[in-house]
Amino acid sequence: MHKPDPIEAILARLMPPGLSDDGQSDIAAMLDELAGVPVGITPAKPGISWIRRITTGGIAAAGAAAAVIFSLSGPPSPSPLSEVAPVSEVAAEFVLVGESGRIEAMTDEGWQENADGSTMRAVRLSVVEENSLFDEETGIVMKVSEPREEILLMPVSAF
Amino acid sequence: MESPASAWKQWLAEHGPRLLLVARGWSNSRHDAEDLVQEAILRMWHHQAESGGSPPDLPLVFSTIRFCGLNHHRSESRRRKREESIVYLHDFKDVWLDPVLEEDEEAVILRDAVQNLSQKLREVVVMKFWGGLTFLQISETLAISPNTAASRYRYALEQLAHELRRMKEDRHAQA
Repeated sequence: MHKPDPIEAILARLMPPGLSDDGQSDIAAMLDELAGVPVGITPAKPGISWIRRITTGGIAAAGAAAAVIFSLSGPPSPSPLSEVAPVSEVAAEFVLVGESGRIEAMTDEGWQENADGSTMRAVRLSVVEENSLFDEETGIVMKVSEPREEILLMPVSAF
Repeated sequence: MESPASAWKQWLAEHGPRLLLVARGWSNSRHDAEDLVQEAILRMWHHQAESGGSPPDLPLVFSTIRFCGLNHHRSESRRRKREESIVYLHDFKDVWLDPVLEEDEEAVILRDAVQNLSQKLREVVVMKFWGGLTFLQISETLAISPNTAASRYRYALEQLAHELRRMKEDRHAQA
């Protein structure tokens, strides 16, 4: 039988605290909202500040550089890594029905030193931003994809 | 029949603390961690809708929290100056773990030591010890081999034991 490590015995005396009452009720309210939402319209969580809201100008800029894929299958099925935004009007003919940003690949680029001498860990990310636009006139849903690469520098707090 | 929302709420009540602890590794504060958990649950809801709508397995949620955290960190780092981030990442005033017993000196030392482990080691310890995952599940979640997961866990325990000894010696020397 596995004899517990003395350190594990001490760790067992530490417990993670639960979600705060506010956090718990926010999520419960979101679940209720999700359970009552018609299929195909996916609301974003109010208050998650980092989910970006796309603007008309952003759509136009992204469209210029993007590959446009036509689809007749209705709103896109969300993936666990996609960001979802609510329906919003982009232009007179097009309605934004979904917005997602996902990381397709992640490569560790090792340590890097900054000019101030601090150590950073570099991670190369392949990111794809994707917007779904619904053409009210034709019923076509267009997916506008914008792939790009980013280098993320994370401060190293411990070795 | 139980509604999907009720099943998810029950699941959240059971696993919420574990999700929050994993999210703490990718957040600057408890509040941010709770936002991260909420975002992961939102994504999981849509993901699970394709397979019956039941709450997901923990390894999948942990993995989603990591990706949400990475996304968050990516956008945050665009906005925030690096110096501010460094100061913020070292701000461990609000703790991730609570001692079960009062005045448990060893537990408090290890709590701080766990928070100060490198991210690679801390993730494995959190998922193994408080997340209840096997090394195989951890390896799938972190995209590493099961042997690597196990050796990181052992190495983390060694580091924690070393830190505990060092802190005790320091305190006895001061007494």
